[in-house]
Parts: sequence; structure tokens; C-alpha cells
Amino acid sequence: MTPFLAVVKKELWSVIRDRTILIAVLIQLFIASFSSGLLLGVLSFYDPDTIMQSGNLRVRVGLVGPAGSVLEASMRESGLRVVPYATLAEAEAAFYRNGVSAVIVMPQDFGTTTEIKLYLPNSDVVSSLIRMVIQEPLKKYENHLRTQNGIDVRYADLKGKPSTSFEFVYSVLLPMLMFFPAFVAGSMSIDALTEEVENKTMQTLLSAPLTVQGVVGAKIVASVILSTLQCIAWLGLMLLNGIEIRNLGWILVLAVIVSGLTSTAAMLAAVFLKDRERSQFIYSLALLVAAGIGTLLDFSPIKTISRLGIGDPYTTGWNVALFALLLAGLYLVLVRASRRLVG
Amino acid sequence: MHQILVMAWREMTRLRTRFGGASPVVVFLLLAAVGLLAFTLRDAVALGSGLYRLAVSGDVPPIRDSRFAIVPVDPAQGQALLAQQAVDAWVDGVRVHAREDDRSQFALRALRQALEGLELGRIGMSYANETAFPLRVGINYFPPAPVPGQVAPPPVEEEIIIPSLTPPPAPFTQVLIGMLYIIPITFISIFFTTSFMDEKVNRRLTILLSAPITPFQIIFGKMLPYAVFALGATVVIAYFTGADALLALAIFAPTILFIFAIYLMVPLFYRTFKDTTFIAMLVTTLTTAYVVFPAMFTNTNDLAYISPLTLAVKMYRDEPFGWREYLFPSLPMAAIFGMAMFAGTRLLNEEFLMGYKPITRKIGEAIYLMLARIHPYLSVPLWSLLVIPGVYMAQVVFLAVATNLPLRVMVGAVLVASAVVEEIVKSVGILALAERGVVKSTRDLLLLSFLSALGFLVGEKLLLLVSVSVVMEAPISGALFGAGVFLLIPFAAHFVFTSIVVLLRTKARLAYPLALAAGTVVHFIYNWIVTNGGL
Repeated sequence: MTPFLAVVKKELWSVIRDRTILIAVLIQLFIASFSSGLLLGVLSFYDPDTIMQSGNLRVRVGLVGPAGSVLEASMRESGLRVVPYATLAEAEAAFYRNGVSAVIVMPQDFGTTTEIKLYLPNSDVVSSLIRMVIQEPLKKYENHLRTQNGIDVRYADLKGKPSTSFEFVYSVLLPMLMFFPAFVAGSMSIDALTEEVENKTMQTLLSAPLTVQGVVGAKIVASVILSTLQCIAWLGLMLLNGIEIRNLGWILVLAVIVSGLTSTAAMLAAVFLKDRERSQFIYSLALLVAAGIGTLLDFSPIKTISRLGIGDPYTTGWNVALFALLLAGLYLVLVRASRRLVG
Repeated sequence: MHQILVMAWREMTRLRTRFGGASPVVVFLLLAAVGLLAFTLRDAVALGSGLYRLAVSGDVPPIRDSRFAIVPVDPAQGQALLAQQAVDAWVDGVRVHAREDDRSQFALRALRQALEGLELGRIGMSYANETAFPLRVGINYFPPAPVPGQVAPPPVEEEIIIPSLTPPPAPFTQVLIGMLYIIPITFISIFFTTSFMDEKVNRRLTILLSAPITPFQIIFGKMLPYAVFALGATVVIAYFTGADALLALAIFAPTILFIFAIYLMVPLFYRTFKDTTFIAMLVTTLTTAYVVFPAMFTNTNDLAYISPLTLAVKMYRDEPFGWREYLFPSLPMAAIFGMAMFAGTRLLNEEFLMGYKPITRKIGEAIYLMLARIHPYLSVPLWSLLVIPGVYMAQVVFLAVATNLPLRVMVGAVLVASAVVEEIVKSVGILALAERGVVKSTRDLLLLSFLSALGFLVGEKLLLLVSVSVVMEAPISGALFGAGVFLLIPFAAHFVFTSIVVLLRTKARLAYPLALAAGTVVHFIYNWIVTNGGL
């Protein structure tokens, strides 16, 4: 056991000495802060509900046409201010006085199809904002016209709350922070092994009282230890940020198992190919494929960790055990394959 | 030229021998799988995949949204499951039931989006077009208020939309397509990097460097096959996504160069294999963020043009863009490529590549090697001028990260970080020379600080001139660059900060981080006063 621990220690120490692991940690911090702060900001930027709820925004729309229309009511309902005008010329004058930001002209009589006109300012920023917030009232109005045409529109009155941040936190942020260290662990395992092979130090290492399986295993353990530490740190940070995460224990177990899986798979590539270039290339490609197939299945690690995080009643430790089984199988294959390294 | 081709051919041979045997089959199968999966998943990938459980009873259209796991139930069961929180919502025929708690309400909003699409499909199929889509909205633009002396732009033609069929204004889809172009480049770069690492591991670099071939020819020759692959991949992607191949090439060529430039730095600076992995990951993450994030603001903010992906988004939306919009993101990337090529030719020597040193020492040595061949009076200001695109990219990244902080802290943090970076680039060149005894006297050090500040300021203003002419209206750039006296204060300030760092390090023998901190503090105070309108 002692030589095994010595190899683990050597791997960890070399990572600490190089200090470039800090880069990996910084990247994750960057991704996490970047995506949560910014992408979420962008998402809400394009979400009319959030735009109108932020309160500071008072969009005034000039309306030329009959009073009391459904369009007018639904515009008011979604927080726009509607200012009636008698003619387009009056509304246009108001626009240039900054009285209104946009003008809608509705016809007096309606046929089967109604054509209305929307006048926007000649600025990309403001006009795309107005087009976003006016989209919902226009759709409601369109549904109203459909009903008048005798079409029954079902499910038109559903409301709910904007779900973007909820979906983002549990289906993107949590899996990303838990599985990115696993991705790094796989790459590190390849580096650790191929460096010994390419620098021809592998044989020296094997002259120590340690089997080749022991060497390979120790390198995997070192990578998994590092990724586990990172996962614990991320979970801590998320909790500090007030994100509610259920099933913390199982989530951590799953993260450790997944980093075991990626490290074992990566090591398998390294054992067969023996050089960094091909191993890293095939490992990254294989990971892409695995992630792709995972999204097609209902029990992928990503879905499992999201569901554990929100406390889905149907997702338990058994779902995690499934991956442990997979890891055990893959590791057995690796143990058999690593004989190739001797001789 | 001949030498370059010989290098390129040698590189191809290396790849062929390495990927002989069974591995091409594996690679091909994996690539085919990636392609196939990308095709099957192009609509399936959504935020919130698998998050909600939905009970369904009665006549409900088939919901194929990856966010929902569907549980078919009896009408009697639905209510109970909903109450037990075993499902998040229950669709019973045309009626939808939900609870009051957040999760159920989130599910309801997601359900609304899914059902809206299904309903539109049904209505479109079963009714005549005019009855099914009874509303047409003609979009017009008020011309801008006339400015004397300027010709009014021609009126834009009316655009007719049908509200329920209008795609959302967010450019997410186009950004995702644009990202497709980046992925093969990062993969291809693995081989480019390894090519140099191989030479180092196999100790063949010595032979190569003693051959009658310049470092430039080596680097360029090794890069050539991969650059061709990358450009080829761009054309293929453009073909499959229905874009103009030439335009796509023009847009992504600077990005390809930029990524190659940074991957060239990896084999020059790595010491162990793990270094390579970490540095490569950093590069991939930062470039992706740098390229993707601004593109999300296409058409809502002119600053989006710092990313070439914005141009791609415009291309996929059939919107035009001009030369200035093209050069704005492309020039800094091309400039960084030029810098990297220059650095590569200087650093490609055995003494630098071999040997394990702390990374900071290695960087110091690299800077010395880049500056040493020409006179310090020329090399130092040139250095300060040429690293500006890098500084500018770093500042964009700071700004992006800092938006997470509260507003007051954010401004401060960005100012501090920018000051640190600026002081580093202005002082490292001088210090690299001073450490190796090229410059010694206080007078020389001060003169170099002066020149370094000058180079930096010229570069900064040039960049500002380019960016301002794209981003803002002409009068503002006039105000910034018209008045000559206006530049004297920042120039003097830059000179003072650099001198502080340089003299503290060389004459007072202070550790570099401490000297840097001193310069940064003064710089920050100055910036703070300026941004608060004090000067």
C-alpha cells in the first residue's frame, strides 16, 4: 500500500509545484461567475417579463385607432403605457418630442386579416427592446382575432413564473461545476501516464515494488482527489450564494464517480495509444459523444445531478449506484488493458 | 517558401505515421458520431433538460420538450400526484392544473412555451392561412431627427411580420451555430501544439535548429497544414449551415489565426504535460467567452462588435455590415497573431525551451529575448505599443467577470485590475532588460519609462480611435483626439506610474509584486479622480 500512496503523493505534489492547477481553478471560477452573472443577465435581457418587472423602464407607446381595443388592454396589462392620438402626424410629433417611444396605427374596420402598423425609432437598441416587450401583447391580440374568426385557441391563458434562472442554475450551473473538474481529471490522468511513457520513466517506476495496475490506479486516485476537492469548494460557494441544493451527499458521490469514470476512460485511451496527442484527442471526442448520447437518455449524469439538486422524488441513491456499476466495469477493463504497458 | 513547404510536408508525415494503424478508424467513427449527434440534438438541447415532471390525462397534444418527463395518469390520479408534489403540473385535456409553489409555477411557464408551439402547429394545419394567422404587423422606422449638414439616410422598407411566427430577437441560435466554427479549431490546435512538444521530447529540436532553416520557417511550416485544415473545416461548416463560404472564411480567418497564436505559446512555455492541459483549457475557455459573450448582444449594443462572432450572427440573419465593423474585431486578433509569431521566432531556441523554471521566470526570460536584439530605446516603446490588443482583451474579460459584483465594487475592481495590467506591460520590458544588466543608470531607466509610457499611450489612443469610430458618433472622437493638450496629463501620469514601479524594483530592490502594487495604487487613485470628473 505504501508505494501506491507514494505515487499518489508524487502526482499531487507535482501538480502543486507546477501551480498551473490554479489556472484550472480560475477557469472554473471564471466560467461560474461569468455564466451565472452574465449569461443569466443576457437571458433576462431578452425576457420581456424581466424587462418590465425591473420597474425603471417606462415605455410609452402612442396608439392611433379605436379606443378600448383588446390590443390596448393587453399592452397596459404587460406594463406598457398607452397614449392615444387622433392621427399619425400627431403621434409622430409626440415621438420627436420624446413623448412616446413607438407608435401603433390600427385600422378602423376589421376583415379576416387585420393589418396594423408599428413605427419604431431608428436605433437598433431601443427598437429591438420595444419589439421584445410588445411581442406578447401582439400575440394576445392575434389570439383574440383568431377567436373572432371562430378558431378555438387552447392553453392560451397559462401564466406561471419566469423559469429561466431556475432552469439555468440546476440544469447548467450545477452540472457544469460538478463535471468540469471531472473533465480536467481525465485530461490530467492522460498527462500523468503519457508523460512517464514518452519520457521513458515508466520502466523505472515499475521497478519499484508496485504493479502496473497500481501505478495506473494511483494516478487516477490523485486526479480524482483533486477533482473532489474542487467539487466540494464549488458546492460550498453555491451554498454561500444562497442556492438551495438538495441531496448534497449523493451529488458529491455522483461527481466523484463521474470523475472516476472520465479518468478511467481517459487512462484506457492512454494505455492503448501511449502518447498524449492521440489520447487527448480521442478522449475529448469520446467525451463529446458520451455527453451527446447522455442527453438522449433519461438517466444521464447531467439529468441525474439536476434532479438530485432540485429534490426530484423519483431520483435517489439508486440512480447514482447505476454509475458506480459502470465505473466498476470500466475499471476492470482498464486493469486488464494496462498489462500492455509492461514490456 | 520551399523550406516552409518542406516543414509542412514533414508535419503531414508525422501525422500520418502517428495516426496509422487502427486509430484512424476510431477517430472516423467518433467524428461520425459527433456529427450524427449534433444533427439529432440540434433542436433537443434546451435549458432545463429533464427538470420537470408532468402528469398527462385525456386528449393532450404530444409534448416533445426535453424539459418534461411525461407521466400518463388517470384523471383521478392526477390531482393526488400534484398534491403530493410528485409531479409539477397536470394537464387534463384542455385544462392545466398547477400548485402555487415556485417549482410548479416555473413548470407552468415552461409548459406555456411548449404548448404555444404545438397549438400554432395545430391551428396552422387545420385552418386556412388568413384565418389562422389573422394579424399582420407592418414595421416602419421613424427617420432620425434631421441634423443640419448631414444627408438623411434612405427610408428602410416596411417589414411585415406575423407576431406568433416571429422568431425571438435573441441571437442564441445564431451564436450557437457560430460556436460550431470554433470547436474544430481548438481540436486541430492539439496537433499543432504536440508537433512542437514532440520535437522537444525526442530531442530533435537541436538538429532542426542547426539546419539552414529559420525559426519563422519552422513555425510557419508546421502551422500551414493545420491552418489549411482549419480553413477547410470553416468551409465545410459554412456549406452545411447554408452560409456564404467566402464570407465565413473572411470572418473566421482572424479568429483561427488568434487561436493558433495562443496555442503556439503553449509548447514554448510548458514544462510538464499537465501544464499543457491547463494552459490549453484556459485558452479555450477565455477565447470562447471572449467570442461568445459579446455576440449575445448583437443588434442591441454596438460593443458586440468586439467579437467576430457578431459578424457571423449578422451573416446568418442576412444583415449587412461594413468594413469598419469587420476590422474592429479582426484587427486586434490579427495583431496578436503577429505578436505571437514574432515571439515564437525569438523564443524557438534550445536554451529557452529546455529546462524547468518557475513560470514567472520563464515569462521574464521570454520578454528579454524578444527585446534584446534591437536598441532598448526602440524596443521598449514598441513593446508597450504592440501589447495593447492583449491589454484590451484582458480588460474586456475583467469587465465581464466584474459584472457579477455590486455596482460600486465593480467599478473599483475593474479600475484596479486594469491599472495592474497596464503597469505590468509598461514595466516588464524595462525590468527584463535591467535585470540582465542592459540598462543600469537611473537616467536610462527614467528615459525608458518615458518611452514606454509614450508607446503605450500612442497604442491606446490608436485603439480608441478605431473603436470609437465604430462604436460612437463622430463628434465624440473629435473631442477625444482633437485637443493636443488633453493628452499631456495622461501621458505625464503614465510616465510617473511606470517610473515608480521601475525605480522601486531596480534601485530600492523591492520585490516586483510590491513595486507593482505601489505603482498600481497611485494609478488607481488617478483613475478614480478622473472617472469622478476631478480632472
